[in-house]
Order: sequence, then structure tokens, then C-alpha cells
Amino acid sequence: MSSRVRILANLRRRLEEGRPAAERAEGVAARLRLAGAQTAPRPAASRLEGAEALARFEEKLRAVDASVSHVPGFSSLPQALAEELRARNLPAAVRMGEDFDLVSLDWSGLEATRGPGRIEEPATLSRAVCGAAETGTVALRSGPANPVTLTFLGETHFIVLRRSEIVPGLEELWARVRRSGAQPRTVNLVTGPSRSADIGGVLQLGAHGPVAVHVFIVDA
Amino acid sequence: MTHAPTTPNFRQNVREAMADAPLMEQMTTALTGSMARRAGAAGAVPEFDALRDAGRDLKNHVLEHLDVYLETYEQAVTDAGGHVHWAETAEEARAIILDICRKAGAKTVNKGKSMISEEIGLNDYLEENGVKPVETDLGEYIIQLRKETPSHIIAPAMHVNVPQWREAFRKFHPHLPQDRDLEGLDKLLLEARGELRRKYFEAEVGITGANMLIAETGQSVIVTNEGNGDLSQSLAKVHIVLASLEKIVPTLEDASTVLRLLARSATGQEMSVYTTFSSGPRRAEDPDGPEEYHVVLLDNGRSEMLGSDFQDMLRCIRCGACMNHCPVYRAVGGHAYGWVYPGPMGAVLTPALIGVTQGGNLPNASTFCGRCEEVCPMRIPLPKMMRHWREREFERKLSPKGMRRGMGAWAWAARRPGLYRIGASLAARALRLLGAGSIRRLPLAGRAWTQTRDFPAPQKGGTFLAQWNPDAEGRRKGGAA
Ligand code: SF4
Repeated sequence: MSSRVRILANLRRRLEEGRPAAERAEGVAARLRLAGAQTAPRPAASRLEGAEALARFEEKLRAVDASVSHVPGFSSLPQALAEELRARNLPAAVRMGEDFDLVSLDWSGLEATRGPGRIEEPATLSRAVCGAAETGTVALRSGPANPVTLTFLGETHFIVLRRSEIVPGLEELWARVRRSGAQPRTVNLVTGPSRSADIGGVLQLGAHGPVAVHVFIVDA
Repeated sequence: MTHAPTTPNFRQNVREAMADAPLMEQMTTALTGSMARRAGAAGAVPEFDALRDAGRDLKNHVLEHLDVYLETYEQAVTDAGGHVHWAETAEEARAIILDICRKAGAKTVNKGKSMISEEIGLNDYLEENGVKPVETDLGEYIIQLRKETPSHIIAPAMHVNVPQWREAFRKFHPHLPQDRDLEGLDKLLLEARGELRRKYFEAEVGITGANMLIAETGQSVIVTNEGNGDLSQSLAKVHIVLASLEKIVPTLEDASTVLRLLARSATGQEMSVYTTFSSGPRRAEDPDGPEEYHVVLLDNGRSEMLGSDFQDMLRCIRCGACMNHCPVYRAVGGHAYGWVYPGPMGAVLTPALIGVTQGGNLPNASTFCGRCEEVCPMRIPLPKMMRHWREREFERKLSPKGMRRGMGAWAWAARRPGLYRIGASLAARALRLLGAGSIRRLPLAGRAWTQTRDFPAPQKGGTFLAQWNPDAEGRRKGGAA
């Protein structure tokens, strides 16, 4: 008998006393039907909309040591990014994926390369599915448009999303992720740059992942 | 690094820990602010207690339907192109993992932080079989260098002080100039970052734990602050997830409930930096990510806890709040507990996993102040379960004789919290008269206890319960991996 069979048989024997198998199956099916619907209490702070959501998103990003700026449209992103790189004394180069919104832009002022992350990546750029105002969290889908390694190998990680993609809380974030297409290999929720307090109990940024995260909000 | 349990020597361990002045100092440094951080984060969410109820209810629901959930989850993993392996025991889990590593031709395995890996003694086993495990979480990395075990479930190197970090880096990074400057903490971090960055690109296999397994989507979830688990799983050819079977949650919305509780309870963060949902291998069109995805589902005694007095323990989300708030843990540190899981959650879980003969000493490591249950995000009745173990240990006559005599009276009083508190407060006042510092002999039932350990003399200001005020602690930002 395989371990799988033995473990399941043992569980069934123990659970059977409380609830027969058919009831258990129905209980699970009923719960899974709730996927995408509200089943638990949520903080009032996760329900802000519009301008309030935008303000909270920015406030929470700063609270987790990320920075944030606005660009009027995608077309002004390359220049805004070039300026950010200059201000940070970084080379005029960025690594990104094949995201439609990004590849169609004029990157001639920068050395913009495409593909997965390499061992040293001073700056990387990702296109988020959405951002949750609740905690300043952005959601990224892995794939050709957004290679997952760019999220972790960039010394400075730039993330771009539209203003209309800022949602109140985790519930709306999941709704957008579910709508964004087939389930990717990873969905990455990112809340600020990487950090550790392991050495001396003092919080330091840039543990293994990015030392800095900057979010561009595209207003139009 | 894994060691045989030293849980039966708990008292000896405690004596040694408390005599270790640098360790005591480091524990104080490391834990300062931990309670205030949690209190601040929980207090900022008016709905926090309602979320805790929801967390408790959702895990209870999962445990009551666990067989169906596991099959549902397995199907979803398979649909996404992954493989689920079932392991009844630690040995079986180790063998499965070694087999996957061998098939991948792995010489090196990168590891994200996983308590299950410690539980099954994976590192020693891989090493004995010619596969080199590299811990990539900073805390795990330093204790692997120092050949130690974790002393805390979310901050495994809590016991290591800064001079010890320096010393270990000089010793174990011999290829770097010996006279390099390691004074600033940032220098230490940069050095670790540089060392490990190279290693992410070398390993064939990446092993991570899982904070949750989602039945709806077949995803495994890791919650971290460093990004090491993500680099480990995304750069290797093969990603192995090592998870115990109670980690299931039904849907993404249920995961949100757990996430809203986890970071706040653990580090006082609203959300950890990286929450990653992984399923299956890289998709056909993907430029990166692993080519294989395996989940090893470990039982190792957990299914035996279902329907027992200890079922509630399976709700644990490993946040560490109970140990951060435990006066015993804070006084003795994690290693004294002698096995993988320290603090109140360890005192309950350890005897369940390794047996009451080995772990039965641990539930005595409690003042029954109740703080652990008060802060547990999953509302696990830890003191009650420690009492269950003590009663079992008592019944089995495993307790030393003196302790058994005192126990009857204690058990009677402990079941009556009001009375216990009055008694404890009277006792504290009496104890202060007995001496400052540490007390070598306690009268009556306490005598046997102080024969093997010194009882810390109570400080002014009443009992532990009366003087507890997390807000008085210094506020400090922090995070764990
Ligand atoms: S028992 Fe509760 S407080 Fe302790 S680690 Fe588990 S969930 Fe956290």
C-alpha cells in the first residue's frame, strides 16, 4: 500500500466520526464555490476607493521604504525612468520583459534589454497586474511579459502600473489576477524592497532581492 | 544542521542557557520590541479579532475536511504539470527528495527557510548522500556555517550576536581578504548577499517550504522578506516544495485572511515583502522558472493529531508570536527546548511529533500566564494543551517524584485561573522576601523545582500577568525572513 493510500485512509477513518464522506465532499465543494466571493471579514482600510485608495497606496508604499512617482502616460515612461536612473547614479540601462505596454515605447535614450534576469542587474522593470491600496502591495504575473527573475535580481526594481489598476484590497487584487489570464507559474505579491533584521536585530534593506523599489503610476 | 533531540535534557539545557551571559544578552537585544511591534500592528486593525476568528474557523473547516482537500489540491497541482509525493515519515520524505535530486543530477541544492526541512533532518541526509545543501535565508545561512539549529521559527539565528557573525564570515569565507572591513552591519549583509548571489546560479535544485497550499489553485505559497526563497525556486531547474499536510487553505480569499494575520503577528509588518504563489513548472513560453515542480506532502504524525486533544495545534501558521511573548522562551532561548520547535507551540507540538517520552518535558516550560494564547492569531489554546501533556506525563509517571507530588495541588489550582492568579501573586510577594536575584530554594511544592533550577526572583510590580504591558517596550522596526 502506498503512503498516499495509507495517509488518506488514516485521515478518513478519523474524519468519518465527525462527518460522513459525502458530507465532507459537499462541504469542500461548497467552500470552493465561494472562491472569488467574500467569505471572511476584511479591514475597513481595505475598502477605500478612488482618490482615497490612491493616497493610501502611495502612503503604504512609502511606509515600506519604496518610492513612487507619476507619469502622464506610458509614452513618458522611458524619460521618467532615465531620470530616476540618473538621480540614483545608476547606468542608463534597464532589463525588462516583452510586455506589450513596454515594448511599444521608444527606449532609444536607454540601453533597454529584454529577457530574464542575469547575475548582476542594476535596474529591472516589471509591469504589474494591479496594486492594492490596503498594504501598498503590487501583483506581478510571471511569463515572457514579466520574467520572474527580474523581480528578485534587480538591484533597483522599477514597477509600473496604471492608476486605474490600483484597487482597494486583496479581494479586488485576486479578482484582477484571476481575470488576467491562465494561471502563471508564479504570482508575486511585492510589498517594498527586500529586507532582513537577522544581523544584530537591525533592519537593513536589500537582503537578497532589490535594495530599492520604485513604482511608476501611469495617470492616463 | 540537524541534531538528535535533546528535549529529555530540558532542565540541563535551561541551566546552561541561563548561565550563558552573552546568549542572555543577545536574546534580550533580539526580542526587544517584538511584543510592541505585534501590538502596534494588531491594534491598528480594528477587525483584527474578527480576522482571528475567521482564521480559526477556516483552519478548523480544513482540518475537518482534510482528506477531500488534499485530493482536491493534488488534482490541481497535477493539472498545472506538477507532482505530489506523499510521505508518511521523515525517512520517506528524505528519500523522495534525494531521489528527485539524483534524477536532476544535483550536486548542490539551494534552500529557502523551511522548518519541515529541520524536522526531517534533511541537510545531514543530503550531505551524507553527496548532495550539498546551501541555506540561503540569512539566518539559516549563518547557523549552517556555525553548525547549529534554529533557535526561533521565523528568526532562526536570533541567538547569534554581531561579533559571532563576523567571526563566522572570516572563518568560512577564506577566499576573501582576511583584513577586510566587516565593522558595519551593512558590510556583513553585503558580503552574505555577494556570496549567495553566486550560489543561486549554481544549484540544480531549489527547495522551499510552504506557508500555505491552496486547494483551489494548486499553488504553494511562501511568505518572506529577503527574496532568497524566490531566487532559490526560480533559478534552479527543479523546484521542490516541502510542506506538511495541514498547510492547506481552500481559496485565494482564505489565503488573504491568513496573510492579514501572519505578518502582523510575526514581525508587526502589515504584509511581508514577498508573498509568492507558485504552481507547476515554467510554462512553455516562459523564459525563466524551474522545469520541474514537486511537492512533498509530509504527515510525520500529524494525522494522528486529528480528533485528539491536540487537533487545534494543526491550525498553527508558524508566526512565532507565542514564543516572542513567552516569559520562559524569552528567558532561556530556543535551543534549550532541544528540538526543532521551541516556545509554547514547540512545547505542544514536539511531544506530538517525537513522543511524550522524548518531548514530555517541554510542556513544563510554562508559567501558564496565558500570553501565548492571547496573541496566537489562530486562537490555539496552547496552555490547555500543555496541561493535557502534563497530565499525560503525570499519568505515565514520567515526572520526577517531587514534581509529581506538587503537581496534584498545582493542577487543581491551575484549572481555576482566578485562584491561580491570587495564589501566584501571593507567592510572588512571598518570594520577594526570600531574596533578590535568583532563588535557590522554594518552599513546599516548589522545592523539587529549585533543586534542579534557580527560580528567578519576581521583580517589583506584581506578577508577570499584572505587570505585562507591551506598549512600554521600545518600538523598533523589524522583519524576519
Ligand atoms: S501557535 Fe499560534 S502564536 Fe504560536 S506560532 Fe503557531 S500560530 Fe503563531
